[in-house]
Amino acid sequence: MDFELDADQRAIVEAVDALLVRHAGARRAAELAQSGGYDHALDDALEASGFAQVARGEETGLLEAVLITEAIARSAGVVSAGAALIVAPALCAEPLPGPIALAERGDARPLRFAAQARSLLLAEGDEARWIAIEDGSAEPVDNRFALPMGRWRSALPEGQPLGAGSGERMRAHWRLALAAELLGYMEAALDLTVGYLKERHQFGRPIGSFQAVQHRLALCSVLVEGTRWLSYEAAAKGADPQACTTAAAHAADSARQLFRETHQLSGAMGFTREHDLHVWSMRLPLLRVELGGASQHRRSLARERWGGAPKPGGGT
Amino acid sequence: MEFEWTEPDAQFRKDLQDFLGENLPASWEQIAHHGPGADQTADFSRSFCAKLAERGWLTQSWPAEYGGEDASPWRHAIVSEEMWQRGEPRGSQYMNVNWIGPTIMEYGSEEQKRDHLSRISRGDVLWCQGFSEPEAGSDLASLRTRAWREGDDYVVDGTKIWTSYVNGAEYCFLLVRTDPESKGGRGITVLLAPMDAPGIVVREIPAVIGERYFHELFFDRARIPAHCRLGAEGEGWGVVRYALAYERVGAARYARAARTLDSLAAHAREQGLFDDSAVQEKLGAALTLVEAARILTYRVIDLRARGSAPTADTNLARIAGTLCENAVSDLAVELLGTEALAYGHAAEAYFRMAMTAGVAVGTTEMNLDLVAGRQLGLPRS
Repeated sequence: MDFELDADQRAIVEAVDALLVRHAGARRAAELAQSGGYDHALDDALEASGFAQVARGEETGLLEAVLITEAIARSAGVVSAGAALIVAPALCAEPLPGPIALAERGDARPLRFAAQARSLLLAEGDEARWIAIEDGSAEPVDNRFALPMGRWRSALPEGQPLGAGSGERMRAHWRLALAAELLGYMEAALDLTVGYLKERHQFGRPIGSFQAVQHRLALCSVLVEGTRWLSYEAAAKGADPQACTTAAAHAADSARQLFRETHQLSGAMGFTREHDLHVWSMRLPLLRVELGGASQHRRSLARERWGGAPKPGGGT
Repeated sequence: MEFEWTEPDAQFRKDLQDFLGENLPASWEQIAHHGPGADQTADFSRSFCAKLAERGWLTQSWPAEYGGEDASPWRHAIVSEEMWQRGEPRGSQYMNVNWIGPTIMEYGSEEQKRDHLSRISRGDVLWCQGFSEPEAGSDLASLRTRAWREGDDYVVDGTKIWTSYVNGAEYCFLLVRTDPESKGGRGITVLLAPMDAPGIVVREIPAVIGERYFHELFFDRARIPAHCRLGAEGEGWGVVRYALAYERVGAARYARAARTLDSLAAHAREQGLFDDSAVQEKLGAALTLVEAARILTYRVIDLRARGSAPTADTNLARIAGTLCENAVSDLAVELLGTEALAYGHAAEAYFRMAMTAGVAVGTTEMNLDLVAGRQLGLPRS
């Protein structure tokens, strides 16, 4: 057991953070949120610097991919990072044309990045498929949730099957990607809210000095830190399905609470476009319901742990 | 980063499980049902801990110079998990090993170390903890029990409350105020008080959570030899903080929650309820909280293993542990119905034990305060 990043991992996080300072951030995300755009320039920068392929590296792998995905989310990058860095490398040996969207067969609801995607990874039962997407296959779905969504205009081509077992592998990595992105969003939303409540005075004192407020923020911190370590553990265990489902279930339910609390405690200012909270907070409801949301993650988790032959009571 | 157990650690867990299989009698479940403070549990802990000590496992995480094996905090965590899963057959002696012994190592005189540490490591001594008072609960530093020197003794006058594990206890880890003018943390002193000292009267406070769980200790000009003082006079608050940092994650409550959840899932399957998606969802939700409590506790152990000073991670883990215990015990009652409320049912004992999680060893509110201050840097309220 060892919970610390090694020197190489710390260097990777520092390097991607430095890149993100130049190419991402709340102001850029706020502009893109308003226009419904996708940050192709950020994708290009991540590709050029090698971060996009880190899961396929010889010296790097899934944990580094999770750390970078989390960092991109923390910087409010408007890119399909989880799909590209975490999910696709688990299914395809070669990089896919991006942006990459993720979907389950039969789900016709609005989909993250559908209108920009050039690849779709589709989970269908035990198998996943890769479908090349042509321009104009999806129409944009107007939304206020800080990431572009789209809806397919017509039936998609069959695409390429990715082999037996690829369906389960895709769902596990998708859950890990959701956990990593939600972690980044929650960290940033909580940090911003805590900072704001230290500065904002009412009744002659910082709002953040009221115990009623402090306890709610502290509980948010418990949820964020739990999501962090469950996500890193799932990554370090090579996307073990039960660990990924646990991380996603924890992340999704934590995101529900972080969304409510950061907005409630930020007051009216938290609803405005001039305050940065929305670029992270508004993505929380969007990601927390993907892949069936917390309810589905929890049911899957119960089946993964107890679904087979009854296990004798043992370690957790 | 590494989240797998080493081969020797995994082997140790297996050996310990085998040991428990051999040394916990069939009657243990019934003994445990009376609660950790009951006479039966205290008696059992003496023979059990002696066997554990013979195997070298009672204090293996202690330094070699105190009879331990310098085992890593991870070994300590494995012991804690395996013991809590089975209702803590060490009884109150887990306290001795987890924090009373280590605190004596840090602050004790050579004589105190010789006397106390050898007995603790043999598993044949019981301790209780004299912290809380009628007017000093979460605000522990406001304690009022007075002590003053008379010759070679401290004379102690005051009342302690909520004390567990008093029956059979030979010593009390006792906090007193030696400077009557002082307020707060200053002027507090720790005494390793022999419970047979004249002037100590014990009264049980009957409680629903277990037999002989709570007591009041009345110190009526009790005479405690001055050589029982731990650390310097008036410097006891630093000792307490050191002890509490060890105590807060001492009990692997999540491990017992996980085992309870396993048995609830098995019950749901036997009753044909497991295919109900609502049941699956509740089991999954509770398991998520158990896993979060486990991983946050592991983070604290990781920090301890690398010798870091205590951080708010300890408080985060405690809060997560309480969320997990609440979720599992609520679910137990929902799934089992009134069966879970009948005295003698395993889930019933779990329910009563779990209901103390947010209060014992520092309330959830105190832990939230500490997270707000230390982790989030929020200004004092």
